[in-house]
Amino acid sequence: MFTNAQTFIKTYNRTKNIRAFLLLIITLFTCQTASAITMRMALDADPVSLDPHEQLSVGTLQFSHMVFDPLVRWKQDGQIEPRLATHWKSINPTTTRFYLRKNVRFHTGNPFTAKDVVYTIQRLKRSTDFRAMFDTIASVDIIDKYTIDVHSSSTNPLLLNIMTYVFPMDKVFYQGRDDIIKFGKTFASQHASGTGPFIVKERELGVRVVFVRNKDYWDTKSKGNVDKIILTPIKADSTRLAALLSGDVDFISPVSPIDIARTENVKGIQVIALPTASILLLHMNEKRRKEFRDVRVRKAINLAINQSLIVKKILKGYAVPAGQLSAAKFLGHVDSIKPEYNLPEALRLMKEAGYEKGFRVSMMAPNNRYMQDGKVAQAIAAMLNRIHITVDLKTLPKAQYFQQFDERSADIMMLGWQSDTEDSNNLFEFIIACPDAKSGLGAYNASEYCAPSINKDIALANQEMNPEKRAKIMQKVEMKIYKDSAVVPLYWQDDIWAAKDNVHIKSIVNDQNYPYFGDLVVDEK
Amino acid sequence: MFVFLLRRLAQAFFVMIVISIISFAIQNKLGDPVQQRVSMTVSPIERAQLRQQLGLNDSFLVQYWRFAKKAVHGDLGTSYYYKAPVLDVIFKKLPATMELAFCAIIIVIFIATPCGILAAIKPRNIVSKIVVAFSTMGLSIPIFIIAIFLVYIFSVKLHIAPSFGRGETTNVLGIWDSGLFTKDGLRHLMLPSITLAFALMPIFVRLIRAEMIEVLQSDYIRFAWSKGLSSRRIYFIHALKNTMLPVITVGGIQAGTLIAYTILTETIFQWPGMGFLFMDAVSRVDTPLISAYLIVVGGIFVTTNTVVDLIYGLVNPTVKLANHGL
Amino acid sequence: MRHLKKDIIPPLQESRWSHIWAGFLGDKLATLSLAILVFYCLVAIFAPLLAPYNINSPNFMDLTNAEIAPSWISGDERFLLGTDDQGRDMLSVVLYGTRLSLTIGICAVLIQITLGICIGLISGYLGGRIDNFLMRCADIQLSFSTMMVAIVFLAVFQALFGMDMYQQLAMIMLILVIGLAEWPLFARTIRASVLAEKQKEYVDAARIMGISPKRIMFKHILPNTLTPVLVIFTVQISNAIVAEAALSFLGLGMPASDPSLGALISVGFNYMFSGSWWICIIPSLTLIILILVMNMLGDWLRDHLNPKTYRD
Repeated sequence: MFTNAQTFIKTYNRTKNIRAFLLLIITLFTCQTASAITMRMALDADPVSLDPHEQLSVGTLQFSHMVFDPLVRWKQDGQIEPRLATHWKSINPTTTRFYLRKNVRFHTGNPFTAKDVVYTIQRLKRSTDFRAMFDTIASVDIIDKYTIDVHSSSTNPLLLNIMTYVFPMDKVFYQGRDDIIKFGKTFASQHASGTGPFIVKERELGVRVVFVRNKDYWDTKSKGNVDKIILTPIKADSTRLAALLSGDVDFISPVSPIDIARTENVKGIQVIALPTASILLLHMNEKRRKEFRDVRVRKAINLAINQSLIVKKILKGYAVPAGQLSAAKFLGHVDSIKPEYNLPEALRLMKEAGYEKGFRVSMMAPNNRYMQDGKVAQAIAAMLNRIHITVDLKTLPKAQYFQQFDERSADIMMLGWQSDTEDSNNLFEFIIACPDAKSGLGAYNASEYCAPSINKDIALANQEMNPEKRAKIMQKVEMKIYKDSAVVPLYWQDDIWAAKDNVHIKSIVNDQNYPYFGDLVVDEK
Repeated sequence: MFVFLLRRLAQAFFVMIVISIISFAIQNKLGDPVQQRVSMTVSPIERAQLRQQLGLNDSFLVQYWRFAKKAVHGDLGTSYYYKAPVLDVIFKKLPATMELAFCAIIIVIFIATPCGILAAIKPRNIVSKIVVAFSTMGLSIPIFIIAIFLVYIFSVKLHIAPSFGRGETTNVLGIWDSGLFTKDGLRHLMLPSITLAFALMPIFVRLIRAEMIEVLQSDYIRFAWSKGLSSRRIYFIHALKNTMLPVITVGGIQAGTLIAYTILTETIFQWPGMGFLFMDAVSRVDTPLISAYLIVVGGIFVTTNTVVDLIYGLVNPTVKLANHGL
Repeated sequence: MRHLKKDIIPPLQESRWSHIWAGFLGDKLATLSLAILVFYCLVAIFAPLLAPYNINSPNFMDLTNAEIAPSWISGDERFLLGTDDQGRDMLSVVLYGTRLSLTIGICAVLIQITLGICIGLISGYLGGRIDNFLMRCADIQLSFSTMMVAIVFLAVFQALFGMDMYQQLAMIMLILVIGLAEWPLFARTIRASVLAEKQKEYVDAARIMGISPKRIMFKHILPNTLTPVLVIFTVQISNAIVAEAALSFLGLGMPASDPSLGALISVGFNYMFSGSWWICIIPSLTLIILILVMNMLGDWLRDHLNPKTYRD
């Protein structure tokens, strides 16, 4: 008996061990399949701060769309779709009522209510970068727990566009320690609690950010199945591409246009390019150069630059040549204005203006801000050489370039602009309006071109609620710019992404370059 | 010996002072940090305020003095980008660079020493001719060209080694994030350390070869031959010992070269070390970080050089230290 | 500090030079190297005549011709070595790039020599405290490798005065930085030679005859120290060119509008994955061959001018 019992206990123990072992394996296995979907991505930079209000930049907005949710957001077709705001209606010309989504929780577990939205908008009005946009909002009233009224200071045709920048923040979590300091070590810059699909799990600045999926994400209809995202910043284009080709990452952006043709041929890799509305242009400084005050010279420069050739050869077709500032999807776009290239006519105009022998100008451009910017600038310098304008070109890294830009230190300067509000007027306000330090109008007008009629029209368009009338006003501005050859529009550059075939990026990217990773579907291999 | 030590320390101190002055000057004048901190839509008035907040409007001397006082307490400022004390930032990246340099040096020692010796003792041997030819070629091919070929072949084509970054790291003793203990970390180390080794290899092969040849011609080796000692004993005990002495000295001086090449290698492979940090800081105009990097690297230099000199003095006391060129 | 120099070398007589020359001609590799180097120099000097296109002409950069493969692939006879991303003829660009790289290398080394000779002579001849001080400076200078100093200095300069100023002064800056960083190598060698020469009777004799120290240094001692200088000279030029290339790669070298070989490689680097390999490979090969040849010559000179090996 005794021995039997012992054997029994032994066998029992053994079976128990085996069972435990099996169980362990099963749990390991299931755990693994459950957390299998990890996406590694390489971008040119990682988010500088976890505070969505610290900097108005593509990087911040990309991050905001991952960790926070906006009230409303843009769809691929240019329409606005509800997110944390389910629907909205206009109460009177200056007031819009927003109805908020119920049963949404922040990452901390705090419930999302109207208080959070009001708090967020008030905080946005404190942020140096976002303030300009939110100045148009006079106040926000809480109607009930899930309803708010937004009052604009005047009629505001772009209210919804602005609302895409409202990413509600967890009031309970941030309150009392919510300083916004640029590059400062604030609480908000290091901690985040939003309602978004991802939670920041780990972060080493400049090296890696790890996001994990928010298990309680409200949008259960989203097909997104990525459980973990590892973001690595890789600055050099060729290194980033090599990382994708070698299989070290699954998704990269941006991709240098010169590499696209070859990348597309690689099996298992897809490249997606979307035309955007961000315009590249040249300012000809009329204060520095008397030659540029002559409209014939400006016209000649416009005619001497072959936008289509630049796009074809340097950007390999990944941009749309521009003859105006407003992209086709903007209200201000004038169909009849096309990019023009006519060398003989340019030479004739130069001669007529008395500059047959040409002159010498200085030009500056960034060399790491826009796609292939340094090379484009070099090509432009060569093109201007054809009409006997000798260009002393300097290309600078962005950190230095924009300082020079502010000081207007060259006769010709390059600038790229993505409209914050997805609207022509934003372009005009910053790039074309007469410079005025007080109102901030024309802050990036390095041509010192000033047409009072344009300023008037900008003010009009800012309050006009009728889309057709608005379009007319802005098209008038666009025509005036064209007639005066005030600037040299170059092209609207594409946003380019590349990923492995099993990462279905096509449905989540958009022309503002904020991929909605929450909705990303990745096939298991 | 004591006087020599003192003199060496005084020299090291002097160099550090000069470096720190240069660093202050840089921090005072380099770029415009305000530009970095604000977006396109911020008015000039707000910029001026920020400028005031950062103390950028004070005179050079005031800013210098402020910096000097803090520097003595180990506070070299706060990085604009990392929002953390610069020394913390730099020392966090130190392990990555150290491990990279360490692996490269190991590779160099294990390949360069036998190659150099072989080339010296059997100059007519075909292998040593190849070694010499390779070392000349190695000197002639810029390492960034070598790096891109390594990446192209080993990562893009063969998928053997990752092309960037450091991979998985483990924390050792709570202070050191090491990539040496995980398979992933070691795989990531492969290409950068080989590249760096490539850059240093020719220098050392040639150095060892030259020194060995010279030693072999010296009288005492001739004497050893005539005494009938075995060739192995002569080469590897008597000759090698005397060869390594100058090699160590020059090797110490090569610390500078090593640091310069880590900057290149780290930039190419996105290796999250100090060199990468430095180039990044330069492009971001993160002045406190740039000047702190100079001070730290200057410190590393001066320490290595001083230590190497002292070792040299200890090992070979016959050298008239004070008058010696090195 | 890539190459160790052998310090004390006695003066060589005329007969020795001819002996060396004969030995040189006997070494096929060395002769070939010299021939290639001479070819490079000629090409650099006559680049404006040899280049099929005038790089200063407004029509030189024509975007319509961008990225044409070398003529043996594309069949386009206009461009033997193809064109770069801006439509510039590679052959012309490489010719001018070689010219620029060599100019930078030689000028930088000329600065090194001038400084090195002056300091070396003063230090060696006067001795004492001045010698001590100068050699201490040399130690310190040497302990910072050229690349390190150059990277830091140029990066800081660039940020300090802006890219704008930098691009205007790029060439001068490169020459100065590389030139100033390596003077100790020459200075030490000269000093060592001077110390050796100083012991000799003719210097004593000259001094007793009342010839000024300046005259003794430049007229009597200097000519006898030139052998080691020649050796270092060759190697230093190649080092300077490599340094320039590495700096260009980091974006601290010549601007893209006025490219040296290094700048050409760093631009072409972006095209490595795109299929337009010639934009990178052609200047790379040009550079590698140039450096290789100079290093081989330097090696030969060192091996054969070094009295110890010479005597054996």
